[in-house]
Amino acid sequence: MPVRLWREPLDKEKIKKPIAEIHIIRDNCKGCGYCIEFCPKNVLEKSNELNKRGVHFPVAVRPEECVICSFCSAVCPEFAIFVFEKVEVDNKNDES
Amino acid sequence: MNENSESKEPIRIGVYVCHCGLNIAGSVNVEEVAKFAATLPNVVVAKDYRYMCSDIGQEIIKNDIKEYKLNRVVVASCSPRLHGPTFRRVCEEAGLNKYLFEMANIREQCSWVHLYQKEEATEKAKDLVKMAVSKAALLKPAKDIEVPVIRKALVIGGGVAGIQAALDLADTGYKVYLVEKEPSIGGRMAQIDKTFPTMDCSICILAPKMVDAGHHPNIELLTNSEIVDVSGYIGNFRVKVLKKPRYVTDDCSACGDCAQACPITAPNEFDVGLATRHAIYTPFPQAVPATYIIDMDLCLNKEGIIVCDKCMRACEREAIDFTMKPEEIELEVGTIIVATGADVFDPTALPHYGYGKYPNVITSLEFERLINAGGPTGGHLIRISDRQIPKSVAFIQCVGSRSEKANPYCSNICCMNTIKDALLIKEHWPEVKIYVFYVDIRAFGKGFEDLYRRAKKEGVVFIRGLPAEIIEDPKTHDLWLIGENTLQKELYKIKVGMVILSIGIEPRRDSQIIQRLLNLSRTSEGFFMEAHPKLRPVDTPTGGIFLAGCAESPKDIKDSVTQASAAAARAGILMAKGKITVEAITPRIIEEICRGCGLCTKVCPYNAIRINEEKKKAEVIEAACAGCGTCAAECPFGAIIARSFTDEQIIAQIDAATEQDAEKKIIAFCCNWCAYAGADFAGISRMQYPANVRIIRTMCSGRVSPKFIEHAFARGAAAVLVAGCHPGDCHYINANYHTQRRVEKFWKRMERLGLRKERLQLLWVSAAEGERLASKIKEMQAIVQSVTPEEIEKTKQAFAKGGEKNAG
Repeated sequence: MPVRLWREPLDKEKIKKPIAEIHIIRDNCKGCGYCIEFCPKNVLEKSNELNKRGVHFPVAVRPEECVICSFCSAVCPEFAIFVFEKVEVDNKNDES
Repeated sequence: MNENSESKEPIRIGVYVCHCGLNIAGSVNVEEVAKFAATLPNVVVAKDYRYMCSDIGQEIIKNDIKEYKLNRVVVASCSPRLHGPTFRRVCEEAGLNKYLFEMANIREQCSWVHLYQKEEATEKAKDLVKMAVSKAALLKPAKDIEVPVIRKALVIGGGVAGIQAALDLADTGYKVYLVEKEPSIGGRMAQIDKTFPTMDCSICILAPKMVDAGHHPNIELLTNSEIVDVSGYIGNFRVKVLKKPRYVTDDCSACGDCAQACPITAPNEFDVGLATRHAIYTPFPQAVPATYIIDMDLCLNKEGIIVCDKCMRACEREAIDFTMKPEEIELEVGTIIVATGADVFDPTALPHYGYGKYPNVITSLEFERLINAGGPTGGHLIRISDRQIPKSVAFIQCVGSRSEKANPYCSNICCMNTIKDALLIKEHWPEVKIYVFYVDIRAFGKGFEDLYRRAKKEGVVFIRGLPAEIIEDPKTHDLWLIGENTLQKELYKIKVGMVILSIGIEPRRDSQIIQRLLNLSRTSEGFFMEAHPKLRPVDTPTGGIFLAGCAESPKDIKDSVTQASAAAARAGILMAKGKITVEAITPRIIEEICRGCGLCTKVCPYNAIRINEEKKKAEVIEAACAGCGTCAAECPFGAIIARSFTDEQIIAQIDAATEQDAEKKIIAFCCNWCAYAGADFAGISRMQYPANVRIIRTMCSGRVSPKFIEHAFARGAAAVLVAGCHPGDCHYINANYHTQRRVEKFWKRMERLGLRKERLQLLWVSAAEGERLASKIKEMQAIVQSVTPEEIEKTKQAFAKGGEKNAG
């Protein structure tokens, strides 16, 4: 149905987007760049710093975009990257 | 008389000139034409009568065929596209082969287009009769070909019209393929909350029909699918359908667990973007098929790489399959119903209403989703800016309709839709103040006026005069409407909480795809054109293809359903018979002349002509041939006879037309489907143009051999017009490209010979573009007037002596 969609959906705030906790074990990284290349949401980029192995390990530059597909962990040959869903710590326990 | 045996008996022609009441007799001296006809060679009887097509008129012809032993009949009356079949039948009933009948079109192409030029019109009518008589003398008897009709139908579009047509045909007992582009059938009606004038819940009455269509043993549903190719002809269409993958198998139970797991969201098209959906989704809860679908433009998984498997893990039935591939399905059907529906007007084109800029200006389609209990707000009409129910609402009518800035036509449904919407608001929130700004309220249908009256009684304020501008209060997001009340002749400035733009209906933006595939015509507005506006309103000019719903013109649900049932009945008639007769217009090869060069095989759009390698001669594959005659125009040796449109017949017509005052005349070759139909349309619309044009009908402009143009000039014609369908719209796939090539070549030749090439004109004109043809003929007058006697003489000589040598 080719109607131009331009409005913010009314239920936008109701959609719960998981918040990601991205852990990078920087010194295990060997700088292959697979995680950066394969991330479907382009969350990762090469850092400017070097790790112990002398390579540019990845950093999460757009962590809010992460959908926790964990494909980065699947492709990492060094098991150096993991993603978990952040558990909400606020007091009001939202039951809906 | 046998088709192949040369008859030795003398030609005896009867000519019948029709008054058509005053339609012809009003501007043509019919008696004079009949008297003139009697003096023509081979004519043994010529009569005029008030209505030739009446029973009495038909009896006159039948009696004369017996009494005068007529072996040819010419009727000068309306277009052969209208009553050709009637008079052919009359001839057959009197024992005369119907191919021995010829018609002179002195109504649509003479009396109606020269209303105020009685003398010129009469002279033209005489010429047209003379041309028809000359052709008639050369007619040969022929036998119709019978072809089987496949008893299966294709319905394109799964809106309410398509569903109704499919159900009717399936219930009659025919196999139906229902092809829908979207993931679910249902169309626009599924989006609407209530229907007018009865206020039925739209989806509640539609959903059972959708389910019926989904489960009917005779209906094969092909959703998420598009037509990519159509070939063949009435009764025998071959259709290629591209079935795009859903990535979810039929094992899906529509539980929705997958969508819950999907991390990707996007605006839902079904809710006009007012709600979200996931990358794996079902457009709406009542969707048929209920199977979910993955939107691959959104899904993280691309070609061959499964990045995210959350939906797969959530699906207990393991119904998700990322390896699905697009499938191309080939169908063979006898009839096709086009129910492709319509789009809606985008009001951002009218910036003074502020749509897209002011959040509380919404469209009537957005309103339907907001007021719908299944919609994003659960049926609460809220302002987008503050999510509150507005205290006052204004409807603006004719947004995108009846305006020079947008579409010129009336969209048919918006007046009643607004009245229905106003009543819905009153029903839920009686305290909301409602204004309707209109041009005219058109409450013309059954029960419509009652609903209009009810709305007025409920306190809906109707103000005549559309606002000139809408201004938003930036703090409250309320809207000021400023304009003139044209009934009270005073200005208004009214503040409301929300504005609903009653948007019009537009042709589908991609309708040219279907138009090209099926060789249909469209009106200047862009809707598909019917074969006849009164008598064949659901047929298209292409045999075996019918129209239903908004694809034909804007209409409400009731009219769409009515039309769908009509289209199903029309298609059913063809399939019930199981066979149809096809006109005997396929070509014959004169083997003695054919040299087997194969040029004809190269131009045939249907590959219906091939070289028999043993005999080294061309042969025609009758079943595949559509009779355009392009092969006959291409043959350099004249070895192909295009039956009913032979070289001799067309040359005889040119000779007759150029016998007198050739230097003032335009000889026009018009293809049956577009240009000739366009000329008829000019007549129906009474568009006036000069009377010095003589139209010769061919099936396709591709039939127009350069030697016809040459002959017309050799006979002293001032100008020649070749007119055919627009490139890409040719009724014979691409035959008109050969027309273009030949005309371009002829232009070069004229230049070489030192002749003005403007004297040969090429025009693309559709059946709806009578105006285009009329203006071309007017425009060509300047050329006709500027041609000098010396120029005519030079042309005559150039083509008389060099004609044969330079041909090809």
